[in-house]
Amino acid sequence: MSGLLVALLFYQLPLSEGAMKLRYVTTIYADDKGLGLKQPEGVACGGESLLIVADSGNGRLLRYSIKEGAIEVGTLVIKVDQLSYPIKTEINSGGEIYILDGKERSIVRLSPAGEFRGYLQPMGLPSPTAYIPRSFTVDRNDNIYILDILSERVLVIDPGGKYVRQIKFPREYGFFSDVTVDFRGTVLIVDVVDGKVFSGGKNSTSFSPLTSSLKEYVRFPTSLTTDDRGRIYLVDRNGGSIIILGQDGSFLSRQSGMGWKEGSLNYPAQMCINNKGEIFVADTMNSRIQIFDLVE
Amino acid sequence: MKIKAIKFGHAALFLLFTVSFLFYGAPAHSKNEFKLKLGAKGQTCLKCHETFNETLKNRFVHPLLKKGECIGCHVPHTSSHKSLLKADKAKLCYNCHKEVLPENVLSSHEVVVEGNCNSCHDSHGSNNKFILLKSGNELCFDCHKDKSADFRNVRFKHKSLENGKGCLNCHDPHSSAKSSSLLESRAPSLCLKCHQTNKESFAKKHMNYPVTTADCTSCHNPHGSNNRGLIFDVAHAAVTEGKCTECHQKPISLETKKKTTQLCRECHQDMVDKTFNKNRVHWPLLDKVGCVNCHDPHATKEKKLLKGSIVKVCGRCHGDTVQLQEWSIKSAKDERICEPVKKGNCIACHSPHAADNVLLIREQDVNFALCGRCHEWETHSTHPIGEKFIDIRAKNLSLTCLSCHRACGTGNNPAMLTFTTTHELCIQCHVERIK
Repeated sequence: MSGLLVALLFYQLPLSEGAMKLRYVTTIYADDKGLGLKQPEGVACGGESLLIVADSGNGRLLRYSIKEGAIEVGTLVIKVDQLSYPIKTEINSGGEIYILDGKERSIVRLSPAGEFRGYLQPMGLPSPTAYIPRSFTVDRNDNIYILDILSERVLVIDPGGKYVRQIKFPREYGFFSDVTVDFRGTVLIVDVVDGKVFSGGKNSTSFSPLTSSLKEYVRFPTSLTTDDRGRIYLVDRNGGSIIILGQDGSFLSRQSGMGWKEGSLNYPAQMCINNKGEIFVADTMNSRIQIFDLVE
Repeated sequence: MKIKAIKFGHAALFLLFTVSFLFYGAPAHSKNEFKLKLGAKGQTCLKCHETFNETLKNRFVHPLLKKGECIGCHVPHTSSHKSLLKADKAKLCYNCHKEVLPENVLSSHEVVVEGNCNSCHDSHGSNNKFILLKSGNELCFDCHKDKSADFRNVRFKHKSLENGKGCLNCHDPHSSAKSSSLLESRAPSLCLKCHQTNKESFAKKHMNYPVTTADCTSCHNPHGSNNRGLIFDVAHAAVTEGKCTECHQKPISLETKKKTTQLCRECHQDMVDKTFNKNRVHWPLLDKVGCVNCHDPHATKEKKLLKGSIVKVCGRCHGDTVQLQEWSIKSAKDERICEPVKKGNCIACHSPHAADNVLLIREQDVNFALCGRCHEWETHSTHPIGEKFIDIRAKNLSLTCLSCHRACGTGNNPAMLTFTTTHELCIQCHVERIK
C-alpha cells in the first residue's frame, strides 16, 4: 500500500511541475537615491529578505531588503576600492558577501555591512596551485566552490579558507561557465557550449553528465541555480529565458523570453531564489533586477 | 525398390525446395514480373530510348544496363518516383551499393549521405572509370572550388595531388571510418605513407624535433602553398625563422617552455597585459588552452593565425549566434543586412580578447561609437535616439540602435529589426496606435 502511495506521489510530481510558470512580481531599477542600475550581472539572496545586487556597470554593490515582494527603502550602497567590476555575488549564512571581480579575476570578501575583509585565498591547494575562478558558489554550510577553468576542476574550500577536495572536470566538454550546489550537497556545473549539466555527488571527485544536450530548449546557458526542492534553473543568456529542470535533469519548463517589457529578459546573467521562493534575475541588458515567483 | 522410391522422393523434394528457394530469393526483375517477351529485356526499352544505344558504346557502362536489365532500376509502366525509378533517387543506389556508406563512419561526403550519387556518377555509363562524370581532380574541383584555388594558384603544389589518383590519394570519395575530412587515415600516419622520416634531411628541416607523431597539418597545407615546404601561407614568425626554441624546450620533446597564455605573453606582452586590464576578458583566454583556443601557434590559411575564418572560430562556441547570422543571410527578406553580419565579421562589433563592456562589445556608446562607424548618423530615420530619450519599456535604457535592431541578425526580419514587421515593432512603445 505504501509502495503504491510512493509510486503515485512520484507519478504526480512531473504533472504538477509541468505546469510551472514564473509570475512577474516587480522590478528594481535604482538605489533609494534614484541612481539607476547599469548592466547588473549578479544577484545573491540571503534568508527571506536580503538581496545583494552586483551593479556591474556602476562598479558597486547594492543591498536591499525585500518584504512581501516590495523593496524597503534604505538601500545600502557598497563601493570598495578593492572591487572594480563585480560580476557575480553570493552570501553565506552569516551575511558575509562574496563577489567575483571580472577585472581582477579574484573573489573578494566583504562583511555584511560591506567592509572589505580580504580576497579569498584558498590554503593548502594541491598541485597545480594556480587557478582561475570563472564562477563560484557558497553552500548551506558556508563551503565555497570555485569553478577553476585553468586547472579544469571545482575546488571545494571550507569556510575558513582551507582546501577540502577537488572535483575534476569530465574529459569531454565545451566550456563550463557556472557552478552551484543543491540542498543535498550535489555539485552541478553547466557546459555553456554543449548545453549540458554535469553533477558530482556530495563527496565525489568527478563529474558525470546529468543531462544530454539541452540545445533544443536553451541557446547559451551561462548560469544555474537550484531551489529547495532540488529543481535546477538555467539562465539562458542569449535566449533571454529561464529553463527549469527536475532534480534528475529532465526538462520541465521554459519561462520568460527575450524582450524589454517588464517580465521579459534581455541577456540575463545570474539569478537567485530566496527562502520564500521569490526569484531574482539580473536582467543585464535591460539594466534592472526583475522579481518573479513560481506558480505551480 | 522401396528404398529407391524413398531416395527418389527425397531428391525430388530437395530439387523442388532448391528451385522454389532460388525463385523466391532472386531479384524481382529476374522473375520476369513484367511478363516481358522472351529475350526482350532492355532491347524493348532501347527501341524507344534510342540514346542509350550511344551510352552503351561508352568505355564504362553500368552492369545492369549492359545486361539490358533496365528494370533493375526502372518500372516500365508507372512509378511514384521521377524517371519511373523503382525507389526514391536518394535510396535506389543503396539497394545494391550499401558499402559506400557503412555505419559508424567518422566523416561522410555530403552528396553520398543525401543520396545524390548523380553529382559524381552517370547512372548509365561514361568514358570515365566508375562511370564518373569527369575524370581525376576536375570532378572534385567542380564543387570544392576553394581547394581548387589552393592547388592551382600557389607556387608549390602537393605532388600527390598531381600524380596517380589525385585527390583520391588521400581522400575516400564516399566516407571514412578513420578520419575527418574523408581522409583515408589521420595525419601523420597518412602522410607517412609517402614521406620518409628516417632521412637526415627530414630531421634537419624539422630542427631535430620529434615531429613524427605530430599533426603535419598544423604547419603544412596538404594541398599547396606559396611557401616552401608547403608551410601554410600565414605562418608564425618563429616557425618561418626556424626559432622553435622560442616556445618549445630543446628538441627532445615537443613540450612548450610555459603553458597557455603565459607562453604567448613572453613575446606579446603588451597585447596580453592590455587584454588583462579590461573589465571583461574573453574567458577561454584564461583556460588551460588559452590563446590556442582560437589561434594556431604554427601556421594557418587565415590572417592573425586564426584557426579558421572569424565566423567559424567564433561559431565553435557561439554556434547559436552564428546560426542566427547564417539564417539572416540565407533567408533575408531584404538586402539591408549589416556588412559585418553579411561577412561573418563578428569582431567588427565585439572585441575578441577583452573589453570594458558586457558581451565584449567594443564601445559603451553603441549609437555613435559603434554603429556610427559604418552607418552615417541619423540618415535613415527621424526617430529620436540618444541619451535624452528614454526607452519606455525599460526605463534605465535610453533609445539606441539596438532598441529596434538586433546586431547579430534576426533571422529573416526586415532591416534586422527585432520584430517581424515595422508595425509590430512600433506598437511596442506607441501603444496609442493599437487603440
